[in-house]
Amino acid sequence: MEAPLTRVEFTHIAKVIYPEAGITKFQIINYYIRIAPRILPFLGGRPIVLTRFPYGVGARGFYEKNAPMGTPDWVETFPHYSETAGRMIHYVVCNDLDTLLWLANLDALEIHLLLSTVRSPRNPDLLFIDLDPESPATTADAARIALLIRDRLASQGVRISVKTSGKRGLHLVVPLVPGLTYGEVRGFVHGMGRELSRENALVASEAPGPANPGKVFIDYGQNSQGKTMVAPYSLRATPRATVSTPLSWDEVGKGINPGDFHIQSVPARGEDPWEGILLHPQGLPPGGGEG
Amino acid sequence: MSEEKKSSRRRPIWSGAISIGLVNVPVKVYPMTRDMSVSFRLLHRKDGQPLRYERVCTRDGKVIPWEETVKGFEIRKNEFIVLENEELRAALPESDRRIRIDTFVHYLSLDPVYFENSFILVPDGTPDAYSLLYTVCEEQGEAGVGRFTLRTKEYPAVVHAYHGALVLTTLRYASEVIDPSSFEELKALSGPGTKELDLAKKIIRDLSGDLDIADYHDTYRERVFTLIERKRSGETFRVEKPKAEEVKELMVALEETVAKLGKQ
Repeated sequence: MEAPLTRVEFTHIAKVIYPEAGITKFQIINYYIRIAPRILPFLGGRPIVLTRFPYGVGARGFYEKNAPMGTPDWVETFPHYSETAGRMIHYVVCNDLDTLLWLANLDALEIHLLLSTVRSPRNPDLLFIDLDPESPATTADAARIALLIRDRLASQGVRISVKTSGKRGLHLVVPLVPGLTYGEVRGFVHGMGRELSRENALVASEAPGPANPGKVFIDYGQNSQGKTMVAPYSLRATPRATVSTPLSWDEVGKGINPGDFHIQSVPARGEDPWEGILLHPQGLPPGGGEG
Repeated sequence: MSEEKKSSRRRPIWSGAISIGLVNVPVKVYPMTRDMSVSFRLLHRKDGQPLRYERVCTRDGKVIPWEETVKGFEIRKNEFIVLENEELRAALPESDRRIRIDTFVHYLSLDPVYFENSFILVPDGTPDAYSLLYTVCEEQGEAGVGRFTLRTKEYPAVVHAYHGALVLTTLRYASEVIDPSSFEELKALSGPGTKELDLAKKIIRDLSGDLDIADYHDTYRERVFTLIERKRSGETFRVEKPKAEEVKELMVALEETVAKLGKQ
């Protein structure tokens, strides 16, 4: 008899987690099993933060930075002193399939990741641009700005990748070479946002949210230590169980509806547009540090 | 040999009446035969997990759920007429809960090549009419021939007396039995010589006796069960825990993912 396929024992798999779509924990576990080869490269070696919904989407979920009670000893954790919280946080690190399945079994629908790895927690290894369209601006507006940013960075020799947030926005990511500081990355994104806001009336570079109705906010502040980004291929706690889905720029160019990317449709997608992007870390062109 | 079930615990597969002209004999129908062949589950060799069959699309290999399926009749290669379940249901023979007897024949005049499957008939309610029909068939060796509808199919059927019961045997349609004269080799049989024929008759006479069907055993089945008994004390593959269908499904998906991750 060989070893079992997983150390995780699935419990309460008939429990409905997304009441509106009638999606059960079985489907969530099944989703993470199927998407594991695509999501695991982005989770490995990196502190993550869980958003758990043991009572289902719609009921209150909770954001869990610390590894929960009863974390099995085979799950890697990363102790790190949080200056903002003033205490030690034991982050979960999801290096393998078993840990991913353990998370799914915990109803940790959303997996958020830090922009640093455990090796170098004070330096970002991902640049993250959160394009958040403020109503009445739409996903199509966010896509327009995303394409502008792509072209601008391409002219500077930087390739940026795009995913849906799983809600209305788009997320842009550049894997970075080691050694950059959060301040440098933040400054670069902020600078680019300011320039784009001068060129395009849709862009807001400073204040998020209702202060700028109808604009797409380039949220540079996300590039800070301790801030997180929802992982590519993570489920979202939305009624329809949408997924933060890596896209090809062709798809963005043709126009997308973020609601089309959900727990059923995403595993059936063909090529993974983000496959291997972490293997090609990039430097940033000079664009001004912070301040 | 397993113990026979108590009749009270058996469930009839059909109930209705034998109708002969204006006379009705209410009966319940029970299976008379059982399949004793050895059945196996197919397992994955490496971990002993039971496998199951899935309906897989012949083009892209995707598993198709039942609700997305429909019946198709192949009229030419790869060309189908789609038939909806309602349409097929409408074509079903009407089961009027009657075993209609058209005629009586001598039971031994029936050719067993037409016999398909036998059922035991048991009186439903008062046994008087049943008893009368049994007795008359038994005494005269007669059998009633007629029609009988079971589930989706109408059968020719014969009712005869056997071991204290009326037994119904469904018959094959004429078109379901192949005519041996269609074999070329059989058309040119030449008659044997007198000497050979006499010798053959002698051999047959020497071997003639009575048939006791209990003398025959399924020796394959017996050997397999002996093997199982031996293995039971040694190496066995056991499913660790009875698991819900859904958990099994997760394990199937998991196996694929583990294989993919292994390749990465």
